[in-house]
Amino acid sequence: MELVFEYILRGVMEVFFTADGVFDWLPIAMVFGGLMTGIAIGATPGLNGPFAMALSLPILIWVFGVNDEALLPILGFLIGIMKGATVGGAVPAVLFNTPGTPDAYLTTLDGHPMTKKGQGPKALKVAHFSSVCGDTVSDLVLFVAAPVLAVMIENILDLPEKGALIILSLSFMAAVAGSSPMKGFIVGVLGMLLALVGSTLSGNGPRMTFGIVELGNGLPLTAAILGVLIIGEIFIGLEEEVRKKGQKLRSTLDTVLGDNTFGWSERRRLLPRIGVSALIGTSIGALPGIGTTLAATLGYDVAKRFSKTPEKFGTGIPEGVAATEAANSAVSGANLIPVMSLGIPGNFAAVFIILAVESVGEFTLGPHVFKFTEIKFIEDYGTIINHDLVIAFAMFTLMMLANIMNWTVGGAFLRSLGVLVKVPKSIMLPVVLLITLTAVYAQDGGFIGIWVLLIFGLIGYALKRLDISILPFVIGFLLSPRLEEYIRGGYSASGGDGLFLLKSPLAVVFIAASILILVLANRKRKVPDEV
Amino acid sequence: MHLEGKEKGGALNQWDIGFGAALLIFALWALFFWFPADIPTGFFFVNSVGQEEPGDAFFPIILASLLAGLSVIQMIQSWRDRRSNAEKDDGGSINFPNLKFLGIFLTVVGVGLSLMYWLGPLTVAFLNAAGLLEGTYRNFSDTVPYKYLGYVAGGAVMTLALIIWAEGRVRPVAVMTVIAVLVVAILLFDVALRNVLLPPNADF
Repeated sequence: MELVFEYILRGVMEVFFTADGVFDWLPIAMVFGGLMTGIAIGATPGLNGPFAMALSLPILIWVFGVNDEALLPILGFLIGIMKGATVGGAVPAVLFNTPGTPDAYLTTLDGHPMTKKGQGPKALKVAHFSSVCGDTVSDLVLFVAAPVLAVMIENILDLPEKGALIILSLSFMAAVAGSSPMKGFIVGVLGMLLALVGSTLSGNGPRMTFGIVELGNGLPLTAAILGVLIIGEIFIGLEEEVRKKGQKLRSTLDTVLGDNTFGWSERRRLLPRIGVSALIGTSIGALPGIGTTLAATLGYDVAKRFSKTPEKFGTGIPEGVAATEAANSAVSGANLIPVMSLGIPGNFAAVFIILAVESVGEFTLGPHVFKFTEIKFIEDYGTIINHDLVIAFAMFTLMMLANIMNWTVGGAFLRSLGVLVKVPKSIMLPVVLLITLTAVYAQDGGFIGIWVLLIFGLIGYALKRLDISILPFVIGFLLSPRLEEYIRGGYSASGGDGLFLLKSPLAVVFIAASILILVLANRKRKVPDEV
Repeated sequence: MHLEGKEKGGALNQWDIGFGAALLIFALWALFFWFPADIPTGFFFVNSVGQEEPGDAFFPIILASLLAGLSVIQMIQSWRDRRSNAEKDDGGSINFPNLKFLGIFLTVVGVGLSLMYWLGPLTVAFLNAAGLLEGTYRNFSDTVPYKYLGYVAGGAVMTLALIIWAEGRVRPVAVMTVIAVLVVAILLFDVALRNVLLPPNADF
């Protein structure tokens, strides 16, 4: 236990002090900047946290470089955005009845009626309080669950099992995200295949490049991910804007007349409801691929079902706003459990955390991180320590720091952002396109990044239009190199046994579960249609 | 209403089958044409100590085979679903208006990017021909105004054209926003960050 505390303490110190023991304000400032950016982005309809993280990452890398010292400031900013955007999403939903994301729709049900009653600021206070409560609960679960899970996994799993686990994650994500599990899994495999362009494990020169020299080091990772996630969205958003040409966003912000106090007695009254929603959101968030929409829906539904006055839900009551916001905010922290313990991202925000970690410094995410190596000082050698574990605890510290800032200054900033809702998408989307093109060009040092961005944007557009989830494609693309390593390593270690995956009982269980999940999800999908 | 549902369900299934067929063709093309021509080591290779190890084609072939197999299952499933449940509405489609939008959009982006790439070098070439300048664009890719010409013109044309297309009118606020964004991008990517280049200067 002493060793655990030693590592936690070193993680905290890593955030606040430099290697020379001097107080370091930079990570704190970066968390603050990220949080404020995230709240503003979340409050702007059409923008979201992953988008801001995607655009910030190349800029942060240029500013701070890719050495070990750059990691915490960069992660601090990204974590700040992730948390801020979750809270900020309530602003357009509450004040203008324009949910920026599907889960924010649930917030409009009671949030906007409160605004109509002249209680807009109070609705935002409730949303902020519930959101930060949900987020904090979720983070605390992450801090305990991720190390425990990681230690278990590292002790149990070898190469074949780790490979099978990636396949299981992919099939699970395909099953839960999107309308067609089979198509989701297929695009996951397609993403894996495309990720192999250029890179080889053997070092025998590039592969699958069509002779394009610039692809020798592989497809530019950030351009590909930004393309499928952001450019695809821009295509869709702009198409909708062109279709409804000329329509103006009508502001429906009413004059504030009602009682907008939100005292401690009322906060205490809402706490049980917030607690239940936070647990729902945390449980759902821990499973990769399941988004905030289900958490918000379940949180709202459970609150309504167990309320003594269910008929009041939807008429503008704080309970409705609290139930939704606590649930969807609790997803964000718990979504990092599969990232921290397995290195498998469960949502788009986690994808950018992984991208940052892979681009900057020596730190890598995965079960090996949580190895509590005994700390020893050896003369003329230095200290033996698992530095990855120190960084992991530093990440947790950054998250708590973001929560504290969110508790203290986030609310006031949130309530001042109503004006952002008026930024028209017709201007914002082309501007975002230009910024993304510029950022990708600057990062990849040539037009190759722009071509990859646009091609992957078309893939993203096609997947969206065909109603196929993008998440399995992105996860497949990200995890493919690691899966290849496991599969090739496992095959070689087995002495060239073609059935090596089936020789490990646990790997067989994972593969069988993958197939079962896909089959069941396909059947389940058909049932409502047949009714 | 019933007929409408049937028509819609049939069309959607065609997209499902088409999705499977397209990926099956892609997987087969990859297996039989792309990989043999574009992966230097094969499925296996013998390492320096004489052991057989998986080659660079090992994993791509496994994935492409899996993709082919899954695509066939997808096609069969779509076919069976269509016969058993013609009114199912569980997929999207890409229709003519979508393709028309993409065509116009990519044309606008293509024109913008072409301007971005060529305007600077062509201007320098023209001034060279007129005897007003001496040297290639590479010599001037870090000199104002040449280094900003393509980026500003291409970026402005692309962004403004898309905004005007989306709004159906020209508004001063749109023009001002685009100018402001270009100025901020230049200040950030060219002035503040010294180790990166604006398009197209890294290509010359």
